[in-house]
Amino acid sequence: MERWHYHALQEAIDSSTLLVQGNRACALGALDAGVRFFAGYPITPSSEIMETMAYELPRVGGVFLQMEDEIASICACIGAALTGTLAMTATSGPGFSLMQEAIGYATMVEAPLVIVNVMRVGPSTGRPTAPSQGDVMQARWGTHGDHPAVVLAASNVADMYRLTMAAVRFAQRFRTPAILLADEVVGHMRESFSTELIGRYRLTSGDFDFTPSYVHPEMVREVHPPHVLGSKTHPHVTGLMHDETGFPTDDPAKSDQFLRQLHDKIGNHRDELCLYDVKNEGKGRVCIVAYGSCARSARAALRLAEQEGLPVEVLHLYTLFPLPVEIIQEVARRVEFMLVPELNLGQYAREIRKMAENWTTVISMGKVDGTLLTPREIVDRVAELIGKYESV
Amino acid sequence: MSERLAIEELLHAEHLPHLWCPGCGIGMVTGAFLRAVLALGLRREETVVVGGIGCSSRAVGYIDVGTVHAIHGRALAFATGIKMARPEFTVVVITGDGDGAAIGGNHLIHACRRNIDLTCILFNNRVYGMTGGQLSPTMEAGRRASTAPYGQTEPAFDLCELARAAGATFVARGIAAEVRALEKMIRQGIEHRGFSFIEALVPCPTEYGRRNPPAGAVDMLLSDKARAVSVSEAAAMSQQELQGKIVTGILHHDSDKSEFQAGYAELVARVQGNRGTLGGN
Ligand code: SF4
Repeated sequence: MERWHYHALQEAIDSSTLLVQGNRACALGALDAGVRFFAGYPITPSSEIMETMAYELPRVGGVFLQMEDEIASICACIGAALTGTLAMTATSGPGFSLMQEAIGYATMVEAPLVIVNVMRVGPSTGRPTAPSQGDVMQARWGTHGDHPAVVLAASNVADMYRLTMAAVRFAQRFRTPAILLADEVVGHMRESFSTELIGRYRLTSGDFDFTPSYVHPEMVREVHPPHVLGSKTHPHVTGLMHDETGFPTDDPAKSDQFLRQLHDKIGNHRDELCLYDVKNEGKGRVCIVAYGSCARSARAALRLAEQEGLPVEVLHLYTLFPLPVEIIQEVARRVEFMLVPELNLGQYAREIRKMAENWTTVISMGKVDGTLLTPREIVDRVAELIGKYESV
Repeated sequence: MSERLAIEELLHAEHLPHLWCPGCGIGMVTGAFLRAVLALGLRREETVVVGGIGCSSRAVGYIDVGTVHAIHGRALAFATGIKMARPEFTVVVITGDGDGAAIGGNHLIHACRRNIDLTCILFNNRVYGMTGGQLSPTMEAGRRASTAPYGQTEPAFDLCELARAAGATFVARGIAAEVRALEKMIRQGIEHRGFSFIEALVPCPTEYGRRNPPAGAVDMLLSDKARAVSVSEAAAMSQQELQGKIVTGILHHDSDKSEFQAGYAELVARVQGNRGTLGGN
């Protein structure tokens, strides 16, 4: 089971010929999706995204800026986005923390932009070159106030390309910042990659139109009209609570309506935003729910489990937020356990538990030592769960 | 009369009256800015004013050109993105001493260093007005603030010195009491191709004056005026004589240094021109 637009990209992956690094694939995806503005600040393990943009953007007449810090980087991107330019920045945990206030601003003023966070072990300086999924909840709740979030997670090099592209499309379609998370290993690994996908620098693709003030026809009622600088309306843009005119309001009814609309434009479109893929659908007593590098391990674990006669299915999530409630609950209804391997101490398992605990037992399997979860570790845990069940 | 009517066209009448206190100097300098916009004949669609957070930054809510009320301290970073994405725009930043020199100090330094074609008007009221009179980095030692009840012990920042040292190519200082001179500086700053930094000293009777006599708006204007000396007057004065004075006028103007956006455009042209020889990555 795959979402249609994800599937369309998946097909093109099959004839792989190039060896590409995840971070570079991310930059290529951005360029192909029409990103023409990048402002960033160097940080391990994301710097290759920035370096690729520094090389490529001038060649296509785009703007590349190395700013004085991550705050300036994202603010410059928002400035560009307000003129109708597709903008992106990339960082890692410490820089992502610095960007949080501005992410809230972009959400509030409905500026489309993409933020890539190649995650390293934290908190603080942590282990800059070790993989982690420790920023999942920061991606969801890092900025203050009640806000929606669009958060995707890449599991391999091809994902870095196509999910960056998806993030650009979502950002534009829903006029909101979209966050792409990658574990360090996904950013740094090199894999074969289809040349067909590098159809460089197309400006439009599929259903999506990349013209500046574009609002998808179905979205008109939910997305506030875009306020593009340079347009005849010479708009006002503010992070204060505002109404449709763009000007501040203290009116309780208008504030309430505005904030709820910000949420609804995301929450009402989960069917489109939630990308996932189920392997061995309906055949498992245990479902491994995974994302990022752990999803790769989970897919390999599925093959091992099959060899060992363990009834397992895998739910690979590409979208973490908005929460893929429907598919989680659908799977929860049919399996006895949901096992959630993560490179953190159960951040996303808690979310799954909230959605699934009426129907199944959710088991968190967290690892924070800076190494990957192996397929063997996952299968052993599956065997343990099934064994326990058998002995009851 | 004709000027006044035209100025009204540059204001969002529906959002007036403004929120500034009676006697506040921000409106005077905002008026000077609007007259400069009119004199230069700037097109509203291609003029963008970016403000940060604070009393002065709120000016952007009243000015009827493209306006962005950004987050605290980051107006220059927003403006950098806007200018680089749309080089044909005239981009002006309205900021205050807290917004521009404390939380936003790093961005100020780097905007100066890049010499990007922005005009930054920093309204220096020497206090945090909007949050209730806390001390600012431009408050002179010995002055009182709600967070310096026993007096400011830090030295004050000379922002024009900072801007010049960091690489700004047009640096000027004016006072609200001499608003015509300020208007001219703003006009020249916008016309200048490169980073223009204009410091406008404005009275804040509400939060500064109440703790630091003279308290009244008029007395505060007169006090700044009494301390003001022009660049040419200052040139003939000793360091000792300059103590406590406010040097006004154009302090620095360099038209030769290369401007950031133009430099980037040249880079793009060079890279695109040499596409065949650059090789792959
Ligand atoms: S607090 Fe001071 S700076 Fe702010 S509006 Fe009042 S007088 Fe002006």
